[in-house]
Amino acid sequence: MTEKELISQLQGLKQIKPRQDWVVLIKKQILEGEIIEPKTSFFSQMLSVFRFNYRPAFAVLTIAVLFGLFGFSQNSLPGDFFYPLKKMSERSQALFVSEGEKSIINLELANKRLEELTEIAQTNQTKKLAPAINEFQASISEATKNLVKINATGSVPGSIKGIVEETQKLKENKQKAEALGIVIGNMEDLDNAIIQQIEIQLKVWKETPLTEEEKNLLTEAENYYQEKDYYQASLSSEELWKSYSVRVK
Amino acid sequence: MANLKKAFSEIYDQNIDRIYRFVYLKVNSREVAEDLASEAFLKCWECFKRGDNIDNHSAFLYQIARNLVIDHYRNKGKAQLISTEDTPVIIDPKDNLEERAFLNSDIEQIKAVLADLKDDYQNVIIWHYLDDLPIQQVAQKLDKSEDNTRVLLHRALKSLREKINKQVKEA
Repeated sequence: MTEKELISQLQGLKQIKPRQDWVVLIKKQILEGEIIEPKTSFFSQMLSVFRFNYRPAFAVLTIAVLFGLFGFSQNSLPGDFFYPLKKMSERSQALFVSEGEKSIINLELANKRLEELTEIAQTNQTKKLAPAINEFQASISEATKNLVKINATGSVPGSIKGIVEETQKLKENKQKAEALGIVIGNMEDLDNAIIQQIEIQLKVWKETPLTEEEKNLLTEAENYYQEKDYYQASLSSEELWKSYSVRVK
Repeated sequence: MANLKKAFSEIYDQNIDRIYRFVYLKVNSREVAEDLASEAFLKCWECFKRGDNIDNHSAFLYQIARNLVIDHYRNKGKAQLISTEDTPVIIDPKDNLEERAFLNSDIEQIKAVLADLKDDYQNVIIWHYLDDLPIQQVAQKLDKSEDNTRVLLHRALKSLREKINKQVKEA
């Protein structure tokens, strides 16, 4: 590659620009409410007039239709026509939350998928079995991916009791489904991601100045961890987090 | 205050695209770039309001942005415990299909290789070739002579080309 070609490619990076709505929002936030709109083209100004005049009627109609459809879709199962709407409304819960909260939501959704799968098996809806199994496996994969990403940042939640409780529930529901003869694979990757999170927690606690009582809780958590009782380890760690976070507030 | 806001508004408009792009090319994540760039402008505004003596607002913003990027990577490597609500939002560039579609594969490649260069090389390339700053201004930002800046730019391009050629050979 010649220098000229290289420079030409570099200049292609000039197309990297921030989102216009973000640019306007940040300016407004910094200057405390003063909005100075960016210049818009004649076409986009005409379009905004059109939207302004006709928006209310379209908005009301659209909202009414969507409410109806979303409400109707809540009882749908994998393979049903409106099932994607149900999933869309579930995903919206995870839109404005932190990654830690998203972990818990993902596991709750995985439990829902498992409950749907169990219902399908109990009612002999054989055509829906395969889509339901796929949905469950996809939800486990999403939950695992999210936990792995959090672990990679090093900033793990001090409290993972919610995550461990949902995982316990998942294992119980999985046993029920397997008792009906459904083969849904293992959750080894999810387990490993949770174990890793506990490991990171314990490592950070060891490097943190603690009171005597907190040190005892840490020892308790470490002992449970060594015994592979990760649920109890998470409970001890939860107590430690509560004590520590109250103390340092 | 109204005059201050108007003056800062002009500084903002002149620099927002460049500071965002500067940060984005170093962190390779739109969400992180938005956070750090907005923080840079907020810090600059605080100094502006206080009446701090800032000779060159553009250079000042770049300096803040550089420091924020350094802090970002320093914190990223450090394990810490935080409340569940405060866990960061993570953007995985591999998941961002919209951005990948937007930038074609050649540009994706050069973006990735640029992010891999050392900080000085990245800066001199971004300032001269993307922000179109003349060598004199780049030299001022780096606090080097113009001759040394030209040498640095030459080495930066050489390093970039070597990395790209290496990638092409490995592909």
